[in-house]
Amino acid sequence: MDKKKIIVMNGIHKGYRLGEDMVPVLKDIHFQVEEGEYVAILGPSGSGKTTLMNIIGCMDIADSGEYYLDGQPVHEMEEKGLNRMRNKEIGFIFQNYQLIPTYNILQNIMMPLIVRGMISKEAKEKCMETIKLLGIDHRLEHKPNELSGGQKQRASIARALVGEPALLLADEPTGALDSASGREVLKLFQKLHDMGHTIVMITHDMNVAKTAGRIVHIVDGQLYEGDSLPQ
Amino acid sequence: MITGFLLLFKPRLVRGMEINMKISEIWKLVWLNLSQNKSKVILTSTGILVGAATIMLVLAIGTGGKLEVAEQFKNLNAGAIDITYEYNGNEMSGGGMPGGRMGQSSGGGMPGGMGAGAGQGGSGMGGFPGMFGFSEQTNTENIILSQEDLNTLKEEVSGISDGTLSYTSNADVDGGDLEETATYTIAGVQSNYTQISNLEMALGEFLTEEDNTYKEKTCVLGWQTAKDIFGSAMEAYDETVYIDNRAYTVSGVLEEIGTVASGISPDDAIFIPYETGIKYLTGKNVSPTLTVIAEDVDQVNAVMEQIETVLAESYPEAVFTMSDAGSKMEAANQSNETLTLLLISMAVIVFFVGGIGIMNVLFVSVKERTNEIGILKAIGCSQKDILVEFLLEASCISLVGAILGVICAAGITPLIEYFSVRVELSVSGAVLSLAFGILTGTVFGFYPALKASRLVPVVALNHE
Ligand SMILES: Nc1ncnc2c1ncn2[C@@H]1O[C@H](COP(=O)(O)OP(=O)(O)OP(=O)(O)O)[C@@H](O)[C@H]1O
Ligand SMILES: [Mg+2]
Repeated sequence: MDKKKIIVMNGIHKGYRLGEDMVPVLKDIHFQVEEGEYVAILGPSGSGKTTLMNIIGCMDIADSGEYYLDGQPVHEMEEKGLNRMRNKEIGFIFQNYQLIPTYNILQNIMMPLIVRGMISKEAKEKCMETIKLLGIDHRLEHKPNELSGGQKQRASIARALVGEPALLLADEPTGALDSASGREVLKLFQKLHDMGHTIVMITHDMNVAKTAGRIVHIVDGQLYEGDSLPQ
Repeated sequence: MITGFLLLFKPRLVRGMEINMKISEIWKLVWLNLSQNKSKVILTSTGILVGAATIMLVLAIGTGGKLEVAEQFKNLNAGAIDITYEYNGNEMSGGGMPGGRMGQSSGGGMPGGMGAGAGQGGSGMGGFPGMFGFSEQTNTENIILSQEDLNTLKEEVSGISDGTLSYTSNADVDGGDLEETATYTIAGVQSNYTQISNLEMALGEFLTEEDNTYKEKTCVLGWQTAKDIFGSAMEAYDETVYIDNRAYTVSGVLEEIGTVASGISPDDAIFIPYETGIKYLTGKNVSPTLTVIAEDVDQVNAVMEQIETVLAESYPEAVFTMSDAGSKMEAANQSNETLTLLLISMAVIVFFVGGIGIMNVLFVSVKERTNEIGILKAIGCSQKDILVEFLLEASCISLVGAILGVICAAGITPLIEYFSVRVELSVSGAVLSLAFGILTGTVFGFYPALKASRLVPVVALNHE
């Protein structure tokens, strides 16, 4: 029996306009991720990782091609549909955490639920389990700048989890952390993978990529599965 | 307005496919952002503060001015028409000249006639609507308006309900507590003067018909005069004052009336019977004012035309000066309204400047918070919710400014009153100022809020 496909990309193209010319960044991407997979997208700087992640994360739209997220046709969606996908289907984890500095940690973590129309009280109850899982329950009243990098990243992972998305999307999640905190975050990803979460992680670091179950290389805007990377 | 605006979005909540924040939660975010930027809120709202304070004060000063005018004209009967004759002959004979002459020109010379606000109105109108003659070379015949003329007018002009003759003069007065003689305005009046001038007695009786007929030496004191000479109205009653060294019995004291726009200030005058004054004080050559009351205030102009005709029959060569109280009041109100309008335009400008200020600060704040907006978008927050949040913040900032403005206006009021400008603060004025303040902030806050909501998520998120 086939597993459910979370990501299905067919012939995705994306370029940036540079004056008169279009500079192609993503070239004919075909990519699939099944439910429960832990995939690392590995590639050098400028290869198009962030561009791809923005498209997967519904933050940007491809110039052409099809993209189904959890069975829904993202390539046909407009603003409102994309908002819904970002809120319900995706949990973002950023290299620089992207926590709102004026909100405390709890407010930051609750935001995806608030944004979809929950009231604070409800949202807080729903968050507590995740918060305990990530061990930041004693920092809820603090502002992001009062936390260490590792704690901030755990808070941002909590925020990504509370909305129960179909996909966790992480862009260089260890990039800003010292190696100990980095290892801890990767251990956490492993745990989430074991719990059944689908994870796509973008990195340029082979050692980080190796912790994932599957490695996809991106070179010059094209994807190569596992060992099929041309030398 | 804001709630109405938000209700517009409400029904969409049911459509399920969209992501919508609860408005109560948006309010919480607004509160969070504002409470963490208190100094910015205060700075931003300064423009609105000034605008709201200005509007509030403008309304208060406008209302104050209107009341002032109403009060200053309270001794004027709206239907009253004053008729005077200005003698330009070369021989200026007879006693009481300065005073008598003053009595003719309404609003001139009298201490009470110089009331602050309405004084301007009054002076502009002295001979305005009723004057029919400008040449200084006319009126060489010495005419003294008399009871006979009054009777003729009453008979031949339709629509006159009453009429009276009066004049003023100055005389030395002594008696009571006065340590030395003082000069007072003496008004020679008939018994119906109180009805015509809307005056009330505080004590005792006004001068009677008999007092006039028998040229009795009785007098009625203005409130202030009674206080000056005897200490109080009570103490003045039935006492004796010496006017031009003749003893007069005080038969009564008038109620205090305050500053008046024109004519004699009743508070500071002494009233004596018309004929008594002519006999002992002014002599025959006094130049009285003939006042008639039009039954219907709307017919004042028609009545004035008739008077002109009737007087022309008796005195073909003479040119009389006529002025009616109604147009005086109107002109005073008008100058008052002009002032209010001027102040309001000032407030509008201040609001505009304040609004631009808010807009600039909000633009800066949108820039500062671009990353925050990007994060909100990354977790699916809709354009509309971001717009609403920023708009509510702008409205709240202006509300703070408007409230502070109203408080400031109330605080400044004593200072303005110190410069004897009348200020009438009102709840409706405060509400209007608040409304205007919030409106300004919301209108000017809209564009930055729209910009914020339309940021592209990726760009906003990676903004440093
Ligand atoms: N907004 C943009 N406008 C024009 N060109 C862009 C834009 N964003 C990215 N590019 C170009 O697209 C290419 C891929 O960029 P991208 O950010 O996806 O690379 P990356 O793999 O994430 O690199 P890094 O590891 O340095 O983050 C680069 O050549 C970059 O210059
Ligand atoms: Mg990148």
